[in-house]
Amino acid sequence: MTEAEQGREIIRVENLCKGFGELKVLKNINQHVNFGEVVSIIGPSGSGKSTFLRCLNLLEQPDSGKIWFEGVDITDKRIDIDKHRQKMGMVFQHFNVFPNLKVLENITLAPVLEKKIPKAQAVAQAEELLKKVGLFDKRDEYPRKLSGGQKQRLAIVRALAMEPDVILFDEPTSALDPEMVKDVLDVIKGLAESGMTIVIVTHEMGFAREVSDRVLFMDDGDIQEEGTPEQIFDHPENPRTIEFLSKVL
Amino acid sequence: MIESMIKIWAKYDYVFINGLFGTLWLAVVTVFLGTILGTLIAMLRMSRFKFFYALTSAYIEVLRGTPSLLQLYFFWLILPKLLPISVSDTACIVVALIVNSSAYVAEIIRAGIQAVDKGQTEAAKSLGLSNANTMRYVILPQAVKNILPALCNEFIIMVKETSLASVFFVGELMTAYKTVQSTTFLAVPTLTIVGIIYFVVNFVLSKLLKAFERRLQESD
Repeated sequence: MTEAEQGREIIRVENLCKGFGELKVLKNINQHVNFGEVVSIIGPSGSGKSTFLRCLNLLEQPDSGKIWFEGVDITDKRIDIDKHRQKMGMVFQHFNVFPNLKVLENITLAPVLEKKIPKAQAVAQAEELLKKVGLFDKRDEYPRKLSGGQKQRLAIVRALAMEPDVILFDEPTSALDPEMVKDVLDVIKGLAESGMTIVIVTHEMGFAREVSDRVLFMDDGDIQEEGTPEQIFDHPENPRTIEFLSKVL
Repeated sequence: MIESMIKIWAKYDYVFINGLFGTLWLAVVTVFLGTILGTLIAMLRMSRFKFFYALTSAYIEVLRGTPSLLQLYFFWLILPKLLPISVSDTACIVVALIVNSSAYVAEIIRAGIQAVDKGQTEAAKSLGLSNANTMRYVILPQAVKNILPALCNEFIIMVKETSLASVFFVGELMTAYKTVQSTTFLAVPTLTIVGIIYFVVNFVLSKLLKAFERRLQESD
């Protein structure tokens, strides 16, 4: 990587391959994400979108290929992946909030344990974040008292508390009741507007069109087409993209 | 029959009560120390090292695949030969019961930990939590809710299992039966008394366990 690229790219993926047994899920993917960019990944189920996203912070171990994060090859076995994951937030389809911890503790756990931030400071920061997503009055509740949309907003805030340089969203609204989708999307949109680097796997086409700088269409373990939202949604060229969009739009 | 039971109880109540305390003491000690040993075994079994996995798997399989009574005999025969100091029968039996219990407890703990949703580990790892912190602050607190009821159940099983110790005349409830029976020659009434004690104790314990489980679920 050259000096100029290092300043521009936050994530670089080279020749990424991943399979589960016989099934080849990712077939030699090359891709990058720039600082401040919002990248949406769309495509049919089983196309490898989520696996690709999960490879970016090594929740899935690639079979081959390299992933660079902020100039460091994180597929190198000698690096401490925990340190790098602290700068890559992730939000999951099923929220995965910690049910054994109160709302506030969910948020302060990682900053206090891993970034050694004083408890009082972490709490103050967490309360600020909770105010922003309208969950301040829930701070002493356990997550079981929250609705799906509230849990997901908590999960987003939990990731934000680590002050990450990028946040990976894995179908963040797919498990939500329809009336809660908007609240969560509004939070993500706010993040995008604040300049946060975002990679999001989503089935919300309207949302992808609205907030993305770039859209990747994945199918059959590869990125079939990429471009601006206008290019992908209004003038798709790849027949597979055209077919997919004709089904979902 | 009932008349002779009352007579036996009036005369030998202290033997039965001592026996009951012996049984409860044995069960407490074996489950407590068995839990400590079992936790260690479970940790080794879940470690990345294939060697520890194979070793602890074999340990668990052998202990679960052979009769408890055989294990008791084995330790009773072999421990005095292995150790330079003299070991009492009771010590041999206690060690055997602890080892036996540890195999079951190890599986309880492993199952309890693995039953925690995989998404919890992933969320913790995605925040950059170390493996140790993930275990300590996220997985174990949730696993405990799966493990505790099963451990209590193991205690109830142990209350019954300890009756095997009577083969070696280690003081517990079943040995009390043997003692009283050999003086009174009234086998059936004596056995019935012992059976009633076992049943009442375990019935109460399992009712308490049910109530405890309900409270754990409520706090979910």
